[in-house]
Amino acid sequence: MAVDTSRVDKLRKKQINGQSMKRLVEAGMIWLKTNQQTVNALNVFPVPDGDTGTNMVLTMQSAWNEIKDLGHRKVSDMASAVSKGALMGARGNSGVILSQLWRGFARGVENKEILDGPTFAKAFAEARDTAYRGVVRPVEGTILTVAREVAEATEAGLNSTQDAIDILAIAVKAADAAVQKTPDLLPVLKQAGVVDSGGKGLFFILEGMLRHVYGESLETPLMSVQPISAMNLQGAMEEVEEGQDYEVVVDFVPSNDFELQKFYGRLEEMGTSIQVGEGEGMYRMHIHVPLDKRYEPIDYVMGIGTITKVAMENLMAQMDDIQKSKTTRISFAPVEPGQIAVVVVSPGAGLSRIFASLGVAAIVEGGQTMNPSTQDILNSFENLPTDKIIILPNNKNIVMAANQAKEVTVKQVAVVPTRTIPQGLAAMLSLNPNEELDSVAERMSKAASTVKTGEITVATRTVEIDGVNVKEGQVIALLDGKLVVSAGSVEEGCLGLLEKAKAGEHELITLYYGQEMPHTEANRIADVIREKYSDRDVEVQEGGQPHYQFIISVE
Amino acid sequence: MGKETTSLGGIHISPNAVATIAYHATLQSYGVVGLAPKNFADGIVKTITRDPARGLTVQYDGEDINIEIHVIVEYGTRINSVAESVANTVRFQVEKALGLKVNTINVHVAGLRVSDTD
Repeated sequence: MAVDTSRVDKLRKKQINGQSMKRLVEAGMIWLKTNQQTVNALNVFPVPDGDTGTNMVLTMQSAWNEIKDLGHRKVSDMASAVSKGALMGARGNSGVILSQLWRGFARGVENKEILDGPTFAKAFAEARDTAYRGVVRPVEGTILTVAREVAEATEAGLNSTQDAIDILAIAVKAADAAVQKTPDLLPVLKQAGVVDSGGKGLFFILEGMLRHVYGESLETPLMSVQPISAMNLQGAMEEVEEGQDYEVVVDFVPSNDFELQKFYGRLEEMGTSIQVGEGEGMYRMHIHVPLDKRYEPIDYVMGIGTITKVAMENLMAQMDDIQKSKTTRISFAPVEPGQIAVVVVSPGAGLSRIFASLGVAAIVEGGQTMNPSTQDILNSFENLPTDKIIILPNNKNIVMAANQAKEVTVKQVAVVPTRTIPQGLAAMLSLNPNEELDSVAERMSKAASTVKTGEITVATRTVEIDGVNVKEGQVIALLDGKLVVSAGSVEEGCLGLLEKAKAGEHELITLYYGQEMPHTEANRIADVIREKYSDRDVEVQEGGQPHYQFIISVE
Repeated sequence: MGKETTSLGGIHISPNAVATIAYHATLQSYGVVGLAPKNFADGIVKTITRDPARGLTVQYDGEDINIEIHVIVEYGTRINSVAESVANTVRFQVEKALGLKVNTINVHVAGLRVSDTD
């Protein structure tokens, strides 16, 4: 990505008037739009007006619509039009702040014909002051901090240059540095391993302006740096190309003059499937390279920072494993916009696979002893490309978290309050993703109520409940959540349970065996049951759930 | 309000606790420059106290929590967006901290503060 120096020189000589400022605003908007998803991905809170990138783009677009046909030659006129447009279209918290920044900017260039270095710096200072006036308790580590640091850096920059383009370059650099610092100021960002989204958005606007000056492309995002925790290296495995036999993953701490764009450019020359992740100052790069180039990325990274970890794998060998294990991998039903997506809570890998085969769109891991949070549930569906969601909590302790997730999202959510896994599975069987949300949810509730659920586990303490005496360590059986049998063995517990459930009057008995239950033992018990209920269907499935030797559905 | 029974005893959450969370969430919302006393007579008393409930009412009718917030907004911001984000932030923070569902949040823009005219 070479800077077009003759273009920069020409622009330097030509002063920035109202019309050139218009082009800068346009470039800022386009570049922000190009990187919109990157900004959206930084959201920490699932607040309903959450998508910062989208809100900022809409605000900038409103500003652009206001000015695109204007012929103003004075920057002051152009800036106040931008300010007006941004104000009218301000969306969400970040949009409001952005509009205030533009309002201050306009005030800073009042009565000015052209935008020279000192005017630019003054405009940034006014933007900062105006933005800070709009809130009683400014939170640091946000877009406000970025605006402040830009103002400070450009003010200081006037000592060395009076040139507007140089000042803009200083602003971009300061914005970048300030964005990187946001996690140190705002702990919630650090926890999530991200930088502030609004600050990043502001950076993109400024960078877009500078890219326009440099004659660089605004259409394609050159890179996407994601939080390390969000990197999907497993998924990258499946895109192995012919000749790219080696996967190299390098963790490193870059030196101070690290330039991400240059870094990306160099990696692109070496291989494919490039991913770069960042968290707390550390970077992780992932690349697929041919056999003879397998040490090249490592050598290169060694030159630009300190390597903390290297991992290299022969993909061709791994591919065989993947093929073999493909049957055990979970792939979810694709969701089209407008369709209903079902999210289920599942306590074990086997159950997750069964749910996936029934068409669920996402799975939240959790169950009896590890209740997922509202946040976990939200995360599972916030990024699905539809706004109609059904949640199956499959546990009575998770119903509340599911209901809360429903309250804090903008999506339409129905919680079908399934209390057990068999209820959840029964509900899935009556899913039609193309119908009305409410009627589907109602039908699923009804289906869930037709199944009986048995659970076999071991008592953790001595107690008498519901008239059943239980000693610690004994096998107990629960029918629809109520303790019905205590027994000396799992087999005895299953038989006792099925009797209580009047299994003889039903058609199908399915046993989902847990993590601690060996496959062969599960089959042996199933055979005993088959003998006793010879005219009923008895199925055995791997459930993989912890703590429960068996989850049994009777329907 | 917010009665919950655990094996050890009950947990009660007072409307004041909700009001405190809502108060801090409101003041951190961009565009809000202050809370407004609900009425004038109230204002005289409340200006000499530091009651976090100033400008805020939390009602609990046994089932739903309803919050009324009276705010002063910075002149020159898009008031609609500011009020919306106040409601969103307050709802999110209260529900996150207390695990209680908030039914309605009404944001009343009681006035604007003009720090600059342009």
